[in-house]
Amino acid sequence: MGGKVTCTLGEVKNRADLIIYWGGNPAECHPRHFTKYTLMQKSKFLPKGRKDRTMVLVDIRETKSVKASDIFLQVRPGKDFELITILRAMIKDQHISDAEIASTGLKREALEDLVKRMKSAKFGAMFFGMGLSMTRGKHMNSAALMTLASEMNAYTKFVAMPMRGHGNVTGADVIMRWQTGYPFGITYNRGYPRYNPGEFSTIDVLVRGDTDCVFVIGADPGATMPKPAIDHLAKVPTIVLDPHVTHTSKLAKVHITTAPAGIAASGTAYRMDEIPMPLKPAINSPYPTDEEVVRRIHEAVAAKPEWLIEQPQMLHSQV
Amino acid sequence: MDLQVIDNATCTFCGCVCDDIKLHTDGARIHKAEKACVLGKAWFLNHTAEAQYPAAMVDGNEASLEAAIERAAELLHEADLPLVYGMSNTTCEAQKECVAMADRLGGIVDSHTSL
Repeated sequence: MGGKVTCTLGEVKNRADLIIYWGGNPAECHPRHFTKYTLMQKSKFLPKGRKDRTMVLVDIRETKSVKASDIFLQVRPGKDFELITILRAMIKDQHISDAEIASTGLKREALEDLVKRMKSAKFGAMFFGMGLSMTRGKHMNSAALMTLASEMNAYTKFVAMPMRGHGNVTGADVIMRWQTGYPFGITYNRGYPRYNPGEFSTIDVLVRGDTDCVFVIGADPGATMPKPAIDHLAKVPTIVLDPHVTHTSKLAKVHITTAPAGIAASGTAYRMDEIPMPLKPAINSPYPTDEEVVRRIHEAVAAKPEWLIEQPQMLHSQV
Repeated sequence: MDLQVIDNATCTFCGCVCDDIKLHTDGARIHKAEKACVLGKAWFLNHTAEAQYPAAMVDGNEASLEAAIERAAELLHEADLPLVYGMSNTTCEAQKECVAMADRLGGIVDSHTSL
């Protein structure tokens, strides 16, 4: 779990009496999150369901999720990190100046009320979306919020969890961690895995022009990435595996149509709390599965000469 | 094919991965996705078993699957630093193959997480 202070959604459903959504809009992006896990469910510990729970929403603007919340805190754009740091200090009764609080766009009373609620909750759960993790501060924001969750455990049970988008993106993290020890942004260019986001993360690699061939599966970077990245994608040979002909397919040298996962292809997908779920395909696709096509490409590559003449040695054999 | 009901099917549209969907299917098309949300319904009902697209395309022209696989392997093998990217809308089994392939290629492997 990478050191995160977290839990499963089943625990949230049964125990969490304080729910904080930060920089996300579950009402529109994860429509069943409220009803299945966080707000509406009744349990042994929360027999009155919604009435036993408090929901706080922190965001930069009023989204449709505001209606579902009890408390809405409108933070000034780009001030999430400052707000989290202020909360971390207030929890420990450290002094915060009025100017520092005013810079986040919120009032002292609102923050004091939130701190009181956090400390008096039996089980607090924070869910953060891309509004926190993809804006100014990026992964430092997520790290700050997870630190806040871990520090809150000095007072009460508290967890933090990212609201993952796109189906099985959690599975990608889990599989890469299992195979390489790292969650994403990994290079094998020395024959063994190395991890460095910023250096080996896709956008940076594309914008700098480091890569000379891109294999895209289950994604459409041609529609979502910044222009300099797409420009490089169009320059180098690209291979796309997708159930549809996508924007990226149009820039690509090779496109292979595959069966959509979970609809026509069986397998496993991870839920955002890292629980694996079996898929139950319902239609018979005329196309092969991603798994089969990648395996066949891998086999065709393996039949060619090895790129690394000398294989990396195990540490104990280097002595 | 007769109409079939699949209980407790899994929806992979968003990170909630709801596993309580009831799908009514005839093998070619899903007619009804009970319990699914707006996003899930659109996801299930918009896919069919029809061959809407060519099996594969190489340089913008229709090609056989075998030819496309061979061309893909050539391009990846020729490259100095290939990048394997995405892996969101696919299964863990396919992701495992992707990481193994990146290892073989000596390339980079990355997902949506880094965006």
